[in-house]
Amino acid sequence: MEFFANFAGGTAALFGDPVGVLVFAGGVLGGMLFGAIPGVSMLTLAAILLPFTAHLSPAHGIMLFSVIYCTGVYGGAITAILFNIPGAPENAPTAFDGYAMTRNGQAGKAVGAAVMCSALGGVVSALVMMAATAPIAAWAISAFGPPEIFALVFFGLTVAASIGADNIWKGWLSILAGLAIATAGLDPVGGIARYDFGMPYLLAGIHFIPVILGFFAVSEIFIQAEKKSRGAYRAPELSVNFPTLAELLAHKIAVARSVIIGFFCGILPGIGATLAAFMGYNEAVRWSKRREEFGRGKLEGVIASETANNAATGAAMIPLLALGLPGGALTAMMVGVFQMHNMEPGPLVFINSADLVWVVFAAMFFANLSILFIGYLETKTIINLLRIPFQFLAPVILLLATVGAYAVRGLTLDVIAMFAAGVAGFFLRRSGYSVAGIVLGLILGKIGEQVFAQSMQMLHFEWSGFLGRPIALALIIAAFLTLITSVYRGLGKWRESARHV
Amino acid sequence: MRNLKPGHITEAAFWLALAGFFYAKSFGFDREIEIYRFGAAAWPRALLLLIALAAVGQLVRHWLIPAPANDRGVSGESEAAAAPAAAGLRWHLAAFFLLALPLAYLVVPDWAQARFGLDRPALHALKLAAAAALLLPYFAVVRANPVGVMLAVPVFFGALMQDIGFYVLAPLFAAAVMWLMGERRARLIAAVAALITCVLLLLFVSLLYVGLPAGNISPFYEIGAALVNFLQ
Repeated sequence: MEFFANFAGGTAALFGDPVGVLVFAGGVLGGMLFGAIPGVSMLTLAAILLPFTAHLSPAHGIMLFSVIYCTGVYGGAITAILFNIPGAPENAPTAFDGYAMTRNGQAGKAVGAAVMCSALGGVVSALVMMAATAPIAAWAISAFGPPEIFALVFFGLTVAASIGADNIWKGWLSILAGLAIATAGLDPVGGIARYDFGMPYLLAGIHFIPVILGFFAVSEIFIQAEKKSRGAYRAPELSVNFPTLAELLAHKIAVARSVIIGFFCGILPGIGATLAAFMGYNEAVRWSKRREEFGRGKLEGVIASETANNAATGAAMIPLLALGLPGGALTAMMVGVFQMHNMEPGPLVFINSADLVWVVFAAMFFANLSILFIGYLETKTIINLLRIPFQFLAPVILLLATVGAYAVRGLTLDVIAMFAAGVAGFFLRRSGYSVAGIVLGLILGKIGEQVFAQSMQMLHFEWSGFLGRPIALALIIAAFLTLITSVYRGLGKWRESARHV
Repeated sequence: MRNLKPGHITEAAFWLALAGFFYAKSFGFDREIEIYRFGAAAWPRALLLLIALAAVGQLVRHWLIPAPANDRGVSGESEAAAAPAAAGLRWHLAAFFLLALPLAYLVVPDWAQARFGLDRPALHALKLAAAAALLLPYFAVVRANPVGVMLAVPVFFGALMQDIGFYVLAPLFAAAVMWLMGERRARLIAAVAALITCVLLLLFVSLLYVGLPAGNISPFYEIGAALVNFLQ
C-alpha cells in the first residue's frame, strides 16, 4: 500500500500547490501545441524553457519537462497525420497510415485514435514506471560503481550512435563531437584548463544551454526558412471527428502489443520513443493477416505507433531517475534542469528527495490522462492556433531563445554562441547528422570522463578490471553487440545497393 | 573514385582538420596529474582520434557504396531537391562571409581602440560606423541569398546586443526576421514587431524581472534604461 500512499502524496503535492497546477497546465498545453505546430517541436519548447527552470523548484522543473514529454509526443502525431510532417522522429511511423487516412478523408478518426492510444500507452507506462523505478534505484545504489556507470554510458552512446543519423559513421561523429565539446574547460580530475584559448568565457566550459537552444530552437527556424524559400512550407487546414469506441476496441491486441514493445524500447538508453514507434508499427505489420493494407490508411498503423511511442515516455524516466543517465534529447535536458539546481540525477534522488520523484510520477500520470480530455475537448482550438503563419512565429521563438540564453549567466557571448550553434546545427542536420546525439554526448561527456577516471583509479589502471565485474561486463558485451549489429546492418544496405548497380 | 563527390571529401577534410587542430592544441595542457596516470590530455585525444577514424570510415563508405537515390548525403540532397535555395560553392562562400561580419564587429573596433588609444565617444562612434558598414553587404546579397542572410542576421543581432541593447534591437530584429521569412506587408510587420516586443518585455521585465542588456552606446543606453524604469 506504500505505492498508493506515495502516489496520493505526489498527487496532493502536485495539485495542492497553485504554482504546481499552473506549471502542469502550462506544460500540458505547451507540449501539445509545440508538438503540433509544424516547424517547431516539443524540444524547441523545452530548450526555450530550460534556462527559466532556475526560477522553479527542482520538482516543478522536472515535472514540467516530463509533462511536455508526454503531451509533446502526442502533439507530434497531429501534424504527422494531417500534413505528413512528423512533429518528432517518434511520430514518423504514425504518418505512414495517418497521412494516408487524411487523404482518404478520415483525418478526424486518425487524430481521435492517436488521442486514445497516446493516453492509454502513456498511462500504462506511467503506472509501471511508478512501480519499477524505486526498486531499480535501490538495486543500483549497491550494484553500480564507477565501472558499471561507465559501461552503461558506453552502451547508451553505442545505441544512440546506431540510430538517429543517416549512417553509423555520422551517428558516431555526432556523439563524438558532443563528447569533444564537453572537454572544453577544466578537466574533471586535476582541474587543468583545456581549450580555453586564453578566454575566461571558454575556461568555464561551453554551457549546454546555449548549445541546446541553438540546436533545437534556432536551427529549426533556419531549416524552415530554407524550406520556405523553396516554397515547401504549407499552412495547415482541417476538421476533426472522432472514431467510435467499438472501432478502437477491435484493435485491443495491437494496443497491448505496442504497450509492451514501447515500454521495453523506452528503458533502453539511446533513442527510446523513436525505436518504440518504429518497432510497434513493424510488429503490427508483421502480425497482421492483411499486410498490404498498411501504408494506405489503416487505423491499426496509427494505433500501433502512437501507443508505442507514448508507452516509451514513462519507461525513459527509469534510467534517468534510477541511474542518472539520459536516453534522449529531452531526458538530457532534464539532466540540465537537475544541474541548474546543483543536483545530480541518479539513485540518490530517491533518498534525498522522494517528494520530487512522486510529484513527477503523479504529473506524468495525469498528463497522459489529460491528453484524453484535452484531445477530445480542445483539439479543434489547437488546430486553429496552428494557422498562425510561421513568419510571425519565427521572431517570437528566436527572441525567446535569446532571452533564455542571456538569462543563464547574463552574458551576451552566450547569445552569440547560441546563434552560432544554430548555424552549426543547420549545416549538421542538413548533412544527416544527429543533433540529439551531439547534445547527448555533450551532457554525458563530463560524467563519462569522470567515471572513466574513477574506474581506472579504482581498478589500478588495469583494463581487464572491467571484465571482472559482471554487470559492467554484460553492458560492455551489449555495447559491442549493438556496434556489430549496426555495422552489419550497414553492410547489408551496402550489399543491397551494390546489387542495384 | 566514381562514387566520391566533392561534398564527401569536404566533409571528411572538415572533421580531420578539426581533429588535427585540437590534437595539436592538446599539447598545451598535456600535464601529468599525480593521482591520475593518464593525465588531462588522454581523454580529449582519444575522442579526437576516434573522430578522425569515423571521418575516414565515412569517406571509405562513400567511396565503396554508391549513394542510393534517397540518400540524404551532403551532395545527394542538394542534387535531388529541385532548385535548392542553399547549395553550391558560391552559396556557401557567401554564407560564411556574411557569418564572419559579426565577428569583425566584435574584434575590429576593440583592436582599433587598443592600437590608437581612442576615447569612449570615439570608440562608440567607430562601433556605430562599423555596424552600419558591416550591415551593408547583407542588403546587397539579400535578394540573391536570403537563406544565408537569415543564418547570419541572428549572429549579428547577438554581436550588437552588448552595445545597442536588447530593448532597441528586439523590434528591429523581429521585423527583419519576418521580412526574411517572406512577409512583405510593411504595416503588418511593424504592428507584429511592436506587439511581440511589448509582450516579451511585459512578461520578462515586468513579471519575471529578467535583466536584459540595455546597451552601452548613447542614445541607445538611455532608451533601454528608461524602458526598464518604466516597466519595473
